[in-house]
Amino acid sequence: MSAELKKRNNVLLCILSVGVLCILLFPVFWTFITSLKTEQEIFQNPPTFYPHVLNTKSYAAQVETGDFNMFRSFLNSFIISLGAMVIAVLLAVPASYAIARYKFKGRNGMLLCFLVTQMLPVSVLLTPMFIMFKNMHLYNTWGASILSDATIGIPFSILILKNYFASIPKDLEEAAWVDGCNKFKTFIQILVPIAKPGIIVCAIFSFLYAWGDLAYGMTFILDQQKRPITAGIFNFMGQYGTRWSYLTAFAIVTIIPVSLIFIFMQKYIIAGMTSGAVKG
Amino acid sequence: MKKIRKFFKYDNVGLLFALPAFIYMLVFVGYPIVSNIILSLQNVTVKNLTHGERLFVFLDNYKELIQDDVFRKALWNTIEFTVVCLVFQFLIGFALALFLNKKFSFAKPVRGLLMIPWMIPMTVTALVFKLLFAGDIGIINYLLRSMGLIRENIDWLTSPQTAMSVVIAANVWIGIPFNTILISTGLTTIPQEVYESASIDGAGKVQTFFKITLPLMRSTIESVLVLGFIYTFKVYDLVYVLTQGGPVNSTHLLSTYSYKQSFELFNYSMGSAVANVLLVILLAVGSFYLKITMAEEER
Repeated sequence: MSAELKKRNNVLLCILSVGVLCILLFPVFWTFITSLKTEQEIFQNPPTFYPHVLNTKSYAAQVETGDFNMFRSFLNSFIISLGAMVIAVLLAVPASYAIARYKFKGRNGMLLCFLVTQMLPVSVLLTPMFIMFKNMHLYNTWGASILSDATIGIPFSILILKNYFASIPKDLEEAAWVDGCNKFKTFIQILVPIAKPGIIVCAIFSFLYAWGDLAYGMTFILDQQKRPITAGIFNFMGQYGTRWSYLTAFAIVTIIPVSLIFIFMQKYIIAGMTSGAVKG
Repeated sequence: MKKIRKFFKYDNVGLLFALPAFIYMLVFVGYPIVSNIILSLQNVTVKNLTHGERLFVFLDNYKELIQDDVFRKALWNTIEFTVVCLVFQFLIGFALALFLNKKFSFAKPVRGLLMIPWMIPMTVTALVFKLLFAGDIGIINYLLRSMGLIRENIDWLTSPQTAMSVVIAANVWIGIPFNTILISTGLTTIPQEVYESASIDGAGKVQTFFKITLPLMRSTIESVLVLGFIYTFKVYDLVYVLTQGGPVNSTHLLSTYSYKQSFELFNYSMGSAVANVLLVILLAVGSFYLKITMAEEER
C-alpha cells in the first residue's frame, strides 16, 4: 500500500470512528443539553439541538431547595462508596496474594466460592441482608450500604489481583526471605508496592460498583437524608416525573465523579475491563 | 502451639492472608444464601419478619409460583430480554471490535470513550432512556416522525407492546462496551502471521473471518457470551427504575418481581422463592464459566 493511500485510509477511518462515537454517546450528550434548557424549551416542537436560552437554574435549584438536597445525597454516596472501597481493597489484597502464591488447604474451594459470588443476583441477598442489618442495628445507616456494597468489590478485586500477583517473579520474594524478612513483611514492603497498579484498578472498580448501586441503598436506608444519590434520583423521578431540566441536571451531577475517574484513570479502567472478570 | 506453628509454616500460611476476605464473604454472602433458601420454605411476611413464629410450608411457595401468571410472565420476559440483549450487544460489539482493531490514529481514544456507557450508574441510564423515549418530548419519536416512519407519537414506556424494547435498547447500550473490549482483546491475541499466510494462500476477507478469526476466537466468544448471560439475566436496577415491571407486568423480570414480592407486597418468602429460581438458572449456565476458569487455574 502506498503511503498516500495509507494516509487517506487513516483519515477515513478516523472520520468513521468519530461518527460511530457520536451515535453511541448521543444519549449522554442529549441529557447534558436538556439539563441546560429551560422547561419551556424542552417541550418545544421541533426540539432544539442546543439550548437557545442558556438555563443553569436547574443546577442552582438543587443546592437551594430544601425538599431535596442533591449535594447531601452526593456526599452520602461518596462516603458509602469510599467505605466499600476501603473494605474491599483491605481484604482483597492479602487474599489474592495468598491465592496466587500459596497452595494452602482449601485454596481451590475458596477460589470457586469467590467466582460464584460474582454471579449472584442481588435479589437473593436482599431480604436476608435486610433482616441481618435490622438485627445488627445497622438498618437505616451508611454502614448497611457500605458492608453490602463491599461484597461486590471483594470477589472482583481478588480475581483481578490474583493474576497480578502471579505475574510478579518469585525471585523477589525469595531474595527478601533470604535477607531475613518474614512473610508478612515481605508482602507489605515488597509485593504491595509492585502490585500498586492492580490495586488501583480494584479500588476504582470497587468505588464505581458502590457508586452505581441502587438496590442496596434503597432497601437498607430509609431516610432520604442518608440515602445515596442513585436512590435520590429514583425518588425524584417518582415525585417530579416530567421536570426534565431538574432530572437531567441531577443525572449529570451523578456522573461527574464517574467522568473524572474516567478522564484521569482511563488506562486502569481498560486494564480492569480487559481482565475479563468485570460485571457487564 | 507447636503444631499450629508447623501447620502455617509452608503453604498454609496463605490461609492467614485469605481468611479475612473469606470470612467476610461467608458472613455477608454465604449466610444470606442459606437463609434465603430457608426463608423460601417458610411463610414469612411483614408480621413475622423479625420476631414471631415462622411456619415451615416447604415447597408450597414454589407450587404457588408455578400457578402464578405474573411469575410465568416474568420468567418468560427474563429469557426473552436476555437472549435479545445478548444477540444485539454481541453482534454490535463484535463489529466495533473488528473496526477498532484496525490501525488508525483515533482507534485508542475512541475505544476508551466507548467505555462511558458502561461506567454510568444504571439508575442514570434508566433516566436517560426515559428521556429519549418519552412519548411527548422524546427525541426518538421526533427522529422517527421526521424520517416518516411513524405519523403519531408512540408512548413507548406506557404501552405493554413497546416497553420491553426500550428496556432492551437501554441494556444493549450498556452491554456494547463490555462486548467490544473483551472481543477486541481476544482479537489482538491472534498472531498476525496467521493472517499473512492466509492472504498469501489467496483467502478472501470473508473466508479469513469465518475460517480463521471465528475458530481462533472460540474461547473468547464462549466467555463473552456466558458472562454476558450471567450479567444480563440478573439485571435489576435498570428495569426497576425504567418501568418498575409495568405497564401491566409487561417488563417484569425475575429480579424485579422478586423485589416486588418482598419489598412492595411484603411476601418475603415468595420473593425469596422467586430469587432462588433466578439463582438456580444462573448457576446452571454459570457452571460452564466456572468449569473453564477452574480448569485454567489447575493447569
